[in-house]
Amino acid sequence: MSATAARPATARPVRKPKKASYGSRAERRFAFLFVLPAVLLVLVFRIIPLIWGFFISLTDWSGLGEAEFIGIDNYAAMARDPNFQDSMVNTFVLLATLPVWIMLPMLLAILIHQGVPGGKLFRAVYFFPAVLSSVIVGSIFNVVLRFDGSFNALLGMVGIDAVDWLGNSSTALFSLIGVQLWATFGMSLLIFLAGLSTVSKEMLEAARLDGAKLWQIWIFVVIPSLRPIIEFVAVVTTIGVLTNMFGLIYVLTAGGPGTATTLPEFLIWLEQGRLNRPGYAAAISMVLFAFMGGIAYLQIRIMSRNANI
Amino acid sequence: MATAGKKEKRVLWIISIPMAILALSCVYPVYFALNNALKDNRGYILDRFGLVQNPTFDNFVQAWTRSNLDTYFLNSVVTTVGAVALLLVVSSLAGFALAVLRFPMRRLIFIVILASLMIPVQVVLVPFYQTIIGLGLLNTRTGLIISYTAFFLPFSVYLMTSFYAGLPRELVEAARIDGAKLIQVWWYVMVPMGRPALITLGILNTLYCWNDVLISLLVLQDQRTLMVGIAALRGEYTTNVPLLSAGIVLAAAPIVILYIIFQRQIVSGIAVGAVKG
Repeated sequence: MSATAARPATARPVRKPKKASYGSRAERRFAFLFVLPAVLLVLVFRIIPLIWGFFISLTDWSGLGEAEFIGIDNYAAMARDPNFQDSMVNTFVLLATLPVWIMLPMLLAILIHQGVPGGKLFRAVYFFPAVLSSVIVGSIFNVVLRFDGSFNALLGMVGIDAVDWLGNSSTALFSLIGVQLWATFGMSLLIFLAGLSTVSKEMLEAARLDGAKLWQIWIFVVIPSLRPIIEFVAVVTTIGVLTNMFGLIYVLTAGGPGTATTLPEFLIWLEQGRLNRPGYAAAISMVLFAFMGGIAYLQIRIMSRNANI
Repeated sequence: MATAGKKEKRVLWIISIPMAILALSCVYPVYFALNNALKDNRGYILDRFGLVQNPTFDNFVQAWTRSNLDTYFLNSVVTTVGAVALLLVVSSLAGFALAVLRFPMRRLIFIVILASLMIPVQVVLVPFYQTIIGLGLLNTRTGLIISYTAFFLPFSVYLMTSFYAGLPRELVEAARIDGAKLIQVWWYVMVPMGRPALITLGILNTLYCWNDVLISLLVLQDQRTLMVGIAALRGEYTTNVPLLSAGIVLAAAPIVILYIIFQRQIVSGIAVGAVKG
């Protein structure tokens, strides 16, 4: 099934053939005037800074005074920088958990759609953490996940020994990932539910009449028809974990212990501000941009295909 | 979805138990924050997990006055309201032009605005910060309003454009009348027609601006917004949990109220990108 199949049946057909028919002079002039604020904001604060940032990344600039051109030295320095290497390893660990970020909300959405008892309530409640700021979520879990916090108290009731979830470098990253997953799965779940409402009822009934079991219907009918939604959630989640975890890191672990929870976006901020090495920070930014580029390209293609202009 | 058989119904009942536990965990922050905010520090140390015994509002008073949350709250309100208003105006104007009007480079401009999604603030942190300094916007609320608008704009433009592109053809053609009246067409036709999308965007962007930390840390360094203030309430080794909890209640209250009133719009706003994608 192609991605466009998820479009509601009432939508107009895909964009009409392109013609070079422009409006009157006044129409053209006003059209430019109307898009100007948006274009200027995007140019001044995002696109020009991206190009400028590339040039900064080729210098040893310290934030003040003259910058000296040092070629790719910043990039070479990254290869020797243990902090940067750790942040890359952490990123790959994080990306390796992506199947869980997609499958958990998908499974829950299918169950709710299937009419699990209490489903309507679950849907509303699961989404609640997603509206809270990462600072609020992080501050609460910073207390909850302490050695003497309520999470360990809860585990103690079922006979599990206490763990210093945030202070131990082998558990800190997984704690960070777990909290972020807990805080955002409701968002993906809503997207899956919206997708499920477009799955063809006839197909499900036909499978049912053929004597298929519920789980067979899920695996052979429902999940394959959710493919465009799975693609969308995968792209949005990947971008989210690469660029939306700053707030949580900032309050939950501050990147530590050591570099256990330092991700590139947090390292960029550290190098830019506290360590006062903007040239080096800009170089790490370029690496993050390369990561983002391919994934975001997919997202933009999906979005522009469906905007109907 | 296909109806479940008798045995399958029993399985669904069993599955609903872990799902209910997950649901409990999702409302736990409310219990945590409210319950602890009402304890005094001694009461918290004596009984950290139990229900509050002698409720007190001292923490709210202290957070609001001595911890400067009143100033931070004002900063958050001003910048959020300003940025959301600006976002709605800029994106509905752009959406009107991109979806309805005919002009050269229309598609290119749309793609460029969308492509800036690829450039989150972390990717341009250093030059963005220099741009803010260069424009004299550092430590100004105006600077933060403009920054929020620049970084939350692409999705808003996308949504307005695809919303206007879905309007009936006749209406769109009627809107292409000549001359300077186009501003009136925008104000009297496109803005009212776009209301459902504008409401969705208003709510979502309010969430994003209110909850932001990174952009605010960079642009409003010596004044702080609420979320930066809350982060600062959390000490490195010793945190006054009741005070922090009171701060959390004050900072989350507007968002929780918004969530309760506009739940339907938030849900449809999140879903719209997906079903269209």
